[in-house]
Amino acid sequence: MRISMTINGTQCVMDVDPDDVLLDVLRGAGYLEVKGSCHAGDCGACTVLVDGRPVASCLTFAARVDGHSVTTVRGIGDGTHAHPLQRAFVENGAAQCGYCVPGAIVSAKALLDENPEPTEDEVRLAMDANYCRCTGYEQQVEAVLDAAEQLRKEARR
Amino acid sequence: MGRIVEYYRADSIEDAVATARRLGSSAAYVGGGVELVLRRNPEVSTLIDLSQCGLGEILEVEDGIEVGSQVTLAAISRSAVLKCYAGGSLALWSGRIAQNNLRNMITVGGSIGRNQPWNDLVPHLIALGAEVRFFDGAEHRTPLVSYIDAKRTGTVIEGIVLPSGNANAKGFMWRFTATQQDISLLHCSALIDVAGDVVRKASIVFAGRPGHAALYPQLGQELMEGGGSQDAFESLARSAMQAVEVGTDHRATAEYRRDLVRAAIISLGDWMTGDTQ
Ligand SMILES: Cc1cc2nc3c(=O)[nH]c(=O)nc-3n(C[C@H](O)[C@H](O)[C@H](O)COP(=O)(O)OP(=O)(O)OC[C@H]3O[C@@H](n4cnc5c(N)ncnc54)[C@H](O)[C@@H]3O)c2cc1C
Ligand code: FES
Ligand code: FES
Repeated sequence: MRISMTINGTQCVMDVDPDDVLLDVLRGAGYLEVKGSCHAGDCGACTVLVDGRPVASCLTFAARVDGHSVTTVRGIGDGTHAHPLQRAFVENGAAQCGYCVPGAIVSAKALLDENPEPTEDEVRLAMDANYCRCTGYEQQVEAVLDAAEQLRKEARR
Repeated sequence: MGRIVEYYRADSIEDAVATARRLGSSAAYVGGGVELVLRRNPEVSTLIDLSQCGLGEILEVEDGIEVGSQVTLAAISRSAVLKCYAGGSLALWSGRIAQNNLRNMITVGGSIGRNQPWNDLVPHLIALGAEVRFFDGAEHRTPLVSYIDAKRTGTVIEGIVLPSGNANAKGFMWRFTATQQDISLLHCSALIDVAGDVVRKASIVFAGRPGHAALYPQLGQELMEGGGSQDAFESLARSAMQAVEVGTDHRATAEYRRDLVRAAIISLGDWMTGDTQ
């Protein structure tokens, strides 16, 4: 079946199988920054934004996303410069092996778009889907709070 | 494992029901699709998408608030109307079930249609007195607890209606899980209306294995008659341990779950007397 979606701002028309999940369709189309791990909705590695909201792409029928917009971690900067969230992850030691990072960053992006001044608890709740086996989470929470501050400063400029 | 060979976009609920009738047990309606992807039903080969059927709204209606079956847990948690309903309990808890990237997918229709009423949404909706609107060729409306008991198949769940008249009441939810993402070993939900020392209304629901979500009117009655003293809650806990139907499975014994029933009632008491949030 034919579906059309906007991926990272680019309109795409694709032939998919009704059985396909979004994770496999995105990776098949070269969006290899979207990671799969548990394929069961448990780990959060495959998280992408659909219409700005985080979803587990491993449990999303691709057909259901027809007509919607998808954002992966590659789509959150301007293509040339890293987004403040991406910079904050690097600067705060929030990425080690990096496997969880694409999912973690898009979850954080959805939070900051809705709530530019989140509390630590709000950050933890917004990222409760994203397992990280390396960092122990503290650095990721700090990175999101740091990025939130950077974004607020940029908005005031 | 079932393989999906057709994804059909229904343009109305009439169309959805007619298609489901034609295809019989090889068709399933799609909510968020989480369950349908994860636990493949070998019989199902066609999915019927309801997203074009106008079931995605939260609306104030004459006799309450209607929540469409395509509404997600995340949308419930953000809803300004639901944040003001029964102390905001439904909005609060919907924002805590499962995890963020699933809360944006799991729908009201999928939570009810899955027919596993021990999940975290259904018992709370029962405590709030929700009714289900569903369509099987004709429009129907029935209490959620009866809908679940009837184990209906083939009908489109259009949404739930939360009754008006709960303005002064507050919803309570308690669950015991082995891990945060796990389905509860035991779930307790309640709707309590207190004025001064008088408990004017109390609906208490327990859910858990064996596959059950039940309203216990006798426990609500005992709470209204007993008032809010510590002794009254101790007595209510004893009654609940006898009354609530619990079972054994590989995750916990019935005896263990009976102790959880006690813990839930004590927690309800603490919440009502302001010792906990
Ligand atoms: C990793 C993970 C963690 C989870 N954690 C929790 C948890 O902590 N607490 C909890 O309560 N649940 C939890 N769940 C379970 C989740 O709530 C269920 O899987 C739920 O059924 C998913 O909703 P959905 O809208 O995606 O359902 P779908 O997969 O779309 O549908 C489920 C069933 O409902 C039927 N259906 C859907 N919509 C309708 C309709 N409008 N009318 C009639 N039938 C319909 C479908 O045909 C299907 O049979 C978890 C699931 C996963 C994968
Ligand atoms: S791969 Fe999707 S949640 Fe783990
Ligand atoms: S950085 Fe390795 S899993 Fe998170």
